[in-house]
Amino acid sequence: MKIDRKDFLKVAGGAVVGGAAGFVFSGAPFNAFQWIVEWTQDQYVPGSGAERYLQSICQACPNACTVSVRMIGERAVKIETSVGGGCPIGQNLIQQLYHPDRVAFPMERAGAKGKAKFTAQIGDAAWNTAVEKIAKKIGELRAANKPLSIAAINGAHAGVSGLLLDRLVKACGSPHVYTEPCVHGASSAAVRALYNKEGSLGYDFAGADYILSFSARLFEGWGMMADMHKNLLAWKKSGTRLVQIDAQCTRTASLATEWVPLPKAGTEAVLAMGIAHLLFKAGKRSNAANAAAWTQIVMNDYTPDRVAKVTGVPEATLKKIADALMRARRPIAVAGRGAKSVSSSTLEIAAIEGLNSMLGGGTFIETPPTLGAPRYDAAAAASIKNAKTFAGLDEFIKSKDAFDVVFINDADPVYRSVFGKELAKKLEQASLVVAFTTLINDTAAYADIVLPTVTSLELPSVDKKTVVAPRYKAMHAGDAIIAIAKKIAGVADSFPYARYSDAVAAAGKGGRAAGGAPTIPIALFEKYYNTISKKVDDTAFPLSLIPFEVPSIGDGAGLALPYTLKSIDEKVYSRNKLWVHMNPETAKKFGKCEGSRVDLESQRGEVGSVRVHLTKTVAPDTVAVPLGFGHRHYTAYGEDKGVNPKEIMCDDIDPVSGNADWWFTRIKLS
Amino acid sequence: MATMKRKWGMAIDLDKCTGCGACSIACMQENNLPMFTDDSDSPKRVTFLDLMRVTNDRDTDKKFGDVETAFIPKMCQQCEGNDPKNPKPPCVSVCPVVATDVGDDGVVSQIWSRCIGCRYCQASCPYEARVFNWWKPDYEGSFKEGLSPDVSVPSRGTVIKCTFCSHIWKRERDRMLAKGVKDINAVLYTPSCASACPTGAIIFGDLNDQASEVSRLAKDKRAFRLVHTIDDKPEEEKKRLMAIKHYPNPKVYYLSSKQWIKDMQKFK
Repeated sequence: MKIDRKDFLKVAGGAVVGGAAGFVFSGAPFNAFQWIVEWTQDQYVPGSGAERYLQSICQACPNACTVSVRMIGERAVKIETSVGGGCPIGQNLIQQLYHPDRVAFPMERAGAKGKAKFTAQIGDAAWNTAVEKIAKKIGELRAANKPLSIAAINGAHAGVSGLLLDRLVKACGSPHVYTEPCVHGASSAAVRALYNKEGSLGYDFAGADYILSFSARLFEGWGMMADMHKNLLAWKKSGTRLVQIDAQCTRTASLATEWVPLPKAGTEAVLAMGIAHLLFKAGKRSNAANAAAWTQIVMNDYTPDRVAKVTGVPEATLKKIADALMRARRPIAVAGRGAKSVSSSTLEIAAIEGLNSMLGGGTFIETPPTLGAPRYDAAAAASIKNAKTFAGLDEFIKSKDAFDVVFINDADPVYRSVFGKELAKKLEQASLVVAFTTLINDTAAYADIVLPTVTSLELPSVDKKTVVAPRYKAMHAGDAIIAIAKKIAGVADSFPYARYSDAVAAAGKGGRAAGGAPTIPIALFEKYYNTISKKVDDTAFPLSLIPFEVPSIGDGAGLALPYTLKSIDEKVYSRNKLWVHMNPETAKKFGKCEGSRVDLESQRGEVGSVRVHLTKTVAPDTVAVPLGFGHRHYTAYGEDKGVNPKEIMCDDIDPVSGNADWWFTRIKLS
Repeated sequence: MATMKRKWGMAIDLDKCTGCGACSIACMQENNLPMFTDDSDSPKRVTFLDLMRVTNDRDTDKKFGDVETAFIPKMCQQCEGNDPKNPKPPCVSVCPVVATDVGDDGVVSQIWSRCIGCRYCQASCPYEARVFNWWKPDYEGSFKEGLSPDVSVPSRGTVIKCTFCSHIWKRERDRMLAKGVKDINAVLYTPSCASACPTGAIIFGDLNDQASEVSRLAKDKRAFRLVHTIDDKPEEEKKRLMAIKHYPNPKVYYLSSKQWIKDMQKFK
């Protein structure tokens, strides 16, 4: 067949048209556009891989929810379901795992203390070098008969690694192991004073039909969030009444059956005793061992008129609460003001337990897991026996004693304690500060050696497998402590555990014990009425400062995770401004309006500047300030955002718990 | 448009919401939302689910002691317009490049890469549910390892929005297809916010299915929709108004026993 020029053009043209049509309909141009967009914008494309779901355990709190983790290849991309409740902290596990500022390797201080400058010790020998160094220093102190200069601070949820650290320091011959205060920590000192037992106060929420909460923000981080969420649903079902006493209309107050506004913040203990007074009059009797002495105080000092004067709660309301408590079948009163960070004095917990002792006692003692006492050698035993001890962390910080070696385990006391600055000075003077942490925080900034620890997803789960292999050179704090202990002569005997998991098994699960009849620490109540009325009526500092929290940030731990910042209300923190909440009446009195810039000044000093948000959710003459902001060192996401009100908060140390009762501070605006 | 095979909707019980923020964080993780070092700038931050804290403290007759606080989780309300057979959400009809549309499951979709960034949809959205990427999305270092391949990372200068996690819907649909089930009515899924809610306040389901919990809740006497006052009108009046005017008709229902939250939805 002859192909002339025309045919050739037809075929060629057809091929071109067909090819072009095929090309267009193949979708290739669309893909090309996509590539061009990705390329010109330098767009990141997440890698693909096989999808699977693995089980892990969230270690954020003792509730230990089992979570299902969605994996793409070896990467964890999502926390899916959570058996046991779940909470925003659990949803943050992926961000914790992949945080770019995580401590990757054992690090040594490179700059001045507090500057957070470190050099990473890369290489397999890094851990050995660090462990040797710490063990050597402790060995020297023990040889020089100075074991008392070793101290340790555990985080509120350090768990068994906290027990191991406690064991290490005690076996060396020092009793100086302290824990950051939390809801359990606050009540454990009170339990010792009231019941002469070890453990913290537990509340029988399941059995109760009437719950009277004294500023315990039950659904905003108080206790274990997952547990409290379940209680909320159970109470709605069973018709359990929750009565929330609070100086601020928090979400807990609005979720409660009834909110009892407390016009004078910080007077919860007085209110409890006023209610006890009315209960006694109505015929209820306390089962306390020293009921007579306790009743005498309540009947003499806390008459309804006197209580109404200090608390601002009308007598009729007191009567109404007392009547409701009389009618209830199983009422309980809940102590521990606050959400994630709880601040209560032993006096206040005792006053509320006094109330419970008249109501049939809905409380019990939660006994923690324990590893028992270590094996003391002769020197350690003698040293511990003669040592001066402090009741709690804040008393320890405030003491003049110098410490040479300080361990910080999963804690940030420089940020969280009201004595943060004093602690920072102490850490500056110490010759060796060791921090076990995942991120450099305000406390780790003062460390000489930083040891990287793992997050929940890198820990062995139910089936003993880890979801993600420990990243970099991270090791669980428990394993690191065991490694250090094994290198110290005389201490190694107290550590018969090969690994952290052996210690977890040995510590057991803890349990519950009945409280029995309490002995109210009467001595604390002497002159209390006068002290508190004087504080409430302080005219030099005419306003009360109380804290509040955003659940996903809590007491500051969540701020390093970028997604938490995205979810908070703009009247809490927005564009470098921290907002304090104030009643419009108060603002009018002090000539402030929405958005006014103010500094807060207490006897201890001044913080600022913060912005004023006018809202009737806060009691008049009260300023509510968000907690969790104002870190100096806490990754690029968490630092230099807002102010830390703890710097000016009340520093009266509770003699029993040894911790500051910072909740209620008198301030003025400047 | 043919009749919808599914009509995915949501019912959020505000009486059960504690404002913990788990829904919001789960949403951001699922949808690869950007992570800037300061995302507290609320008008500019890129987030699909806004956890709004509301109080009735502006009411002049209220004083300290009788005010209340609540949280309203607000995401795309997945509007369908007046006619479910021809869904016309306010955002869809204004898009010049068909980057947003309504599928046969009732979800208002958005294709990140097709958007040209004109922001008409953002302006027309009555719920401020759409967000604009003013900057190139940022994920510092190893944060990239937590990104899901199911949701593409958006470009700078485009509008993105909540799609009821429709990528999960597609994933579940494909999973069913692999098992030989071709009927999409058999496919079930849950968006990330609903599965993360610790108190079960967010209920998700098919509004076409009269037996589903979400349908039951949507008819509850506590139910209301965000700023959708036509719902309070008598049935006849509602029909008359719908014939002469467009209404967004969202598929997200809220439930509250508090009258002030419902009153807040009306202009005074």
